[in-house]
Order: sequence, then C-alpha cells, then structure tokens
Amino acid sequence: MPPVLRLLAKRLGTSLIVLIGVSLLIFAIARVIPGDPARIALGPNATAEAIAALRERLHLDDPFVLQYGYFLADLARGDLGISLYTNRPVTRDIADYLPATLELVIVSGIMMVALGLPLGVLSARYRGSWIDHVVRMVTLLGVSAPSFVWAVILMLVFAFYLPLFPIAGRISDSYTISSVTGFLLVDTLIAGDVKAFGNAAWHIVLPAFALALSGIAQAARLTRSNMVETYERPYIEMAKSYGFPEKRIAWRYAFKPSLIPSMTIIGLDFAAMLGNAFLVEAVFAWPGLSRYGVAVILRKDLNAIVGTVLIISAMFLIVNVIVDLLIAFINPRIRYSQRAS
Amino acid sequence: MNTLRIRDLTLGFKGWSGTVEVLHGISLHIGRGERVALVGESGSGKSVTARIVLGLLQSLRSTRLSGLVEFEGRDLSKLSERERHALRGTKMSMIFQDPTSSLNPVYPILTQFHEVLRRADPAINLTGARARAEKALADVSITDPSRALDSYPFQLSGGMNQRVMIAMALANDPSLLIADEPGTALDVTVQAQTLRLMREQVERHGTSVLFISHNLGVVREFADRVYVIYKGRIAEQGPTAALFEDPRHPYTRALLDAVPRITGDGIPEIEDASDAYFAPTEVHEGYGEPEGAA
Repeated sequence: MPPVLRLLAKRLGTSLIVLIGVSLLIFAIARVIPGDPARIALGPNATAEAIAALRERLHLDDPFVLQYGYFLADLARGDLGISLYTNRPVTRDIADYLPATLELVIVSGIMMVALGLPLGVLSARYRGSWIDHVVRMVTLLGVSAPSFVWAVILMLVFAFYLPLFPIAGRISDSYTISSVTGFLLVDTLIAGDVKAFGNAAWHIVLPAFALALSGIAQAARLTRSNMVETYERPYIEMAKSYGFPEKRIAWRYAFKPSLIPSMTIIGLDFAAMLGNAFLVEAVFAWPGLSRYGVAVILRKDLNAIVGTVLIISAMFLIVNVIVDLLIAFINPRIRYSQRAS
Repeated sequence: MNTLRIRDLTLGFKGWSGTVEVLHGISLHIGRGERVALVGESGSGKSVTARIVLGLLQSLRSTRLSGLVEFEGRDLSKLSERERHALRGTKMSMIFQDPTSSLNPVYPILTQFHEVLRRADPAINLTGARARAEKALADVSITDPSRALDSYPFQLSGGMNQRVMIAMALANDPSLLIADEPGTALDVTVQAQTLRLMREQVERHGTSVLFISHNLGVVREFADRVYVIYKGRIAEQGPTAALFEDPRHPYTRALLDAVPRITGDGIPEIEDASDAYFAPTEVHEGYGEPEGAA
C-alpha cells in the first residue's frame, strides 16, 4: 500500500473512533441537562397523558444504555430521528442548512489561504520594511477582535454607509434557483445562470470575509514568523551562496518548509469556523446550520442536538484528515515515516 | 593572476551603539589551484571574510566595508550587485559546516542539484541534470547515484550528504571553493574520509580553495599555506609545514598548544586573552602578500 493511502486509512480509522466517542458524549450530555424535552416540545398546555405518550415514543423512560442502542441502530440506517422543533427528520433539516454553512466556511477558508499565506510571505521577505509593518498592524487587528465584531463593522461600513454589498441573505429574492447541491454558488452554475451566480457571490463576500478575517490574520502572522525562522536556516544561506534567485528562495526554499506548521493551524482554524459561523450567520441572517444548532439547543430538541453536533464533529474530523494528508504531501519526512511503521 | 586577492580589508557593522569593527585590515591571496587555510577561533572573522568574498554581506545596510577584494583580477566593489550575483554558484561555490541541515529538507537531492546546475546552464532540463548529477555523485564515490538523487537529505547519512555537497560545489567547475568548517558536524572518521575526497576532487578540477577551520589537524593535512587570524587581524602566515614546525606568533603557539593530545596530558591550559596575541603579523620568508599590481 502506498504510504499516503496507509496514512489515509489510519486517520480515517481513528476519526471513526473519535466520532463514536463524541456521539456517546453528546448523547449523554443532552440527556443530563435539566428540562423535559417532551414537555418543552408540547408546550405549557399539554396534558400529562400526551407528555407520557411522547416520552414513550422517544424512549425517554428506558435505561440510558438501551436509549443509546436505539440511537445507534437508527443511525446505522441513516436515521437521526425527528426534530421536535421543526417536526421534520433531522437529516432533512441538516441537508437543508448544512450546505449554506459549508459554502460560507469553504469560501472563508479559501480567503484564509489565498490572502493569509501571501501576506505572510510578503511580510517575511520584506521584513523590517513598511510592507512588513503594515501587514503586521493589520493582522494584529484581525486577530484581536472576534469575527462577529468584524461582521458588524463590515456590515455597517460596506453594506450600510457605503452600500457596496447586500446587507443580508444568500441571494436576492428575484432569483429562483432549483436546489441540486444546496451550494448556491454551484447550483447557479448548474442552472447556467451567470447573473444569479454573480449575485450569490456578491452576497457571500462580506460574511465570508468577516468569518475569515481572524484566520487570515492568524495565517499571515504564523507564516511570517515561520518564514523568518526558516530564513535563518543553513539551507537558505546555502541557496543564497549558490546565487539562487531571491524570488525562488522565498517561494520554494523558504516558503515550503515554513508551510508545514502553518498548515496545521490553518486546518484547525478552518474547522473552528464551523462553530464560529453562528455569530456571523446571525448578523448576516445567513440560513445556516450554526443558527439551527443554537435554536435546537435552546429548545432541548434532543435528536436535532445530537445530529447537529455529530455532523459538525464529522466535518471537523474530515478537515483534519485533509490537512494531515496535505502536510504529508508537503513534508517528505511524514510521508516516509508511514512506510517504516 | 591570483584567484583571490584581499588587501587591507576592514569590516564593521553599524548598530545602535556605533560601529562594531570585525575585521581590522586583513590581507591574503590564493593562487590558482592553491589550497589556503584561514585558521582561528570562533568570532575571529573567518566566516565573515568568506561571506564578503561571496558578496553576501555587501547588500546589508549595516555593513561598513573598505579595502580591496579582487577575484580573478576583478575588483568586487566595482561590480554591480547583479555581476556579483552572477559569480555565485558558477565561479565560486561554498561548502558548509553541517551538510544535512544545509540541504533543503523538503526537496529530493536531484531537485537541488538541478537548481545548482541551472546556475551555469539555465537551459538544462531535468534529464540533463540527472545525467550530470549522477556522474558528479559517482566521482565522489557514491555507489548508487541514482538512488541518492531520488532521496531526501534526511534519508542519507551525514557523510553521504557531505559527498553530495562536495559534488554540488564542484559541479559547475568553479575557480574558487570556499569551505567553511567543512564537516565539523560529522564524526571524525567520516570527516577524514570526506576531506580526502574533497582534496582529490579539487586537485582534479584544479580548484583554488579557501579553507576555513579551527581544526589544526585538518588544516595541516589539507592546506598548502596557512593564515592564522585572531580578532580580525592576521597573526601569522606561511607555508603549512613551516608554520607548524616553527610557530612564531604567540597566538599561533597558544592555538597549537590548545589541541588536546591523544597521549593524555589532560586538557591544556591556555590564557583567554593576552596582549601578546595582538603582536604584529609574523610572515614566513617568501610568503608575504604579492606587491604591486594593485
């Protein structure tokens, strides 16, 4: 088996174990927090019989282990139960809300890499110059304020005072796009509606940037400090003494080794955005999974809580596996250590 | 014509609290095909001298340079940054202290070799580079050059990496090789093997060598002539054999005494600093700097 495949198999295996652990944990926590889900779902005027019937239907009176067993059996069939909040299957709700969040987070992730890394490289290559100072000032601002503050500021400045961007939502109401993937940026292209695509892209810029800003800043600062350190390494001096072009030294000889620690953090930041997205989604009225998750927690909607957390954990783990693979791709030492083990 | 001629070179670094003088007017020359050692303790100015010759310090804003550095008859200070850059990796090359950390960890040897060869022949493709690199590695007694080229530095031993460095350094047939404490990071047997190899190779290529070291044993075996440097001044200069048999400068004597003997006389005691170390340069007969032709 090629080392990269072996690594993939190993990471997927451990991810599965983690996922089972998470399901057990969230399943237990959701049942330990006070409040009767059946009573909350049926409202203050429900009769004792109705509540008892719902508790029976949800298996709430069974021992915990048995409840978990039912849950696993359902999960194996791809059934996460019915949401008491929306009265629809949890899987349907997630299928509706997840693409909006994923779309936002993916665009933010792209911004993080596409803006953060080059800024860091520029800053390191011209360290001590005005470029470096400007980048460091801006990135310090980026990391020191949370994303919802940026969401409000960006919205005020670029949507309200200077109406350059739409203030809320995913797409203007005048467009009706049939949902295929749930990703508007993809669906509009499938529909062949370039104008609708432009409109959706125009809507996503501000929320994605607000969400990405701290990640961009983090990536830039980390890349800068790693590269400054790499510039002190003997192999950079060797590259200079052999007269390799400065630009190649920066982009190939210093950037690639510096990328390894940056990638880990970028991966974690990327996965953390799934959770952070909630406040940004709230500010921009973005119909995403994070907003759904908070709504169901407040309602103690057991099935929906467990389902949402499970999906977000799975996304987190998938992102981590991807990052691990990317790092193995960049760092030959990790790639080859898999062969030895 | 000498390959390298340095005359009254001074170097200072301008810092917050004024200029720190590092070199106080050193002069040396290396004839064609000659192996010349620059010996001294750490901080004596050996390595900065090498970096000035390579032109790496000239572009630093804090550098204060005066004196003459002439490479193959061309005054380096009269060359543009671009012309100095063109010399690096083609006409002069360098070998570093620790071969393994001097090679980039994320690229296989071939990629780095290709980059080196491209300095002299910008049009060379990967296949051409591979052929030339294999030949160069075979010359430094690497038994399976093809496998070595596809390896990453961390997969090769320190001695192998050192051979790769030597092969790279000589790949473009430079007229001057600067070896900055080569192989100090290797263990002594491997160091001895690779030094012998380096010596064979430079003799075959007719390369002049500026050999920077603090290891007197190694210098004695490798160099034709020796300059002893102390705190930015040349203390003594002469042919290797004469200098070792008849050390005249107090610092040279202290340096020779500082080498622990294998017979076990304990760790030698030497004075940290002494005014005598600043005594004027001792020049062995007939081995001064060439006059005229400035």
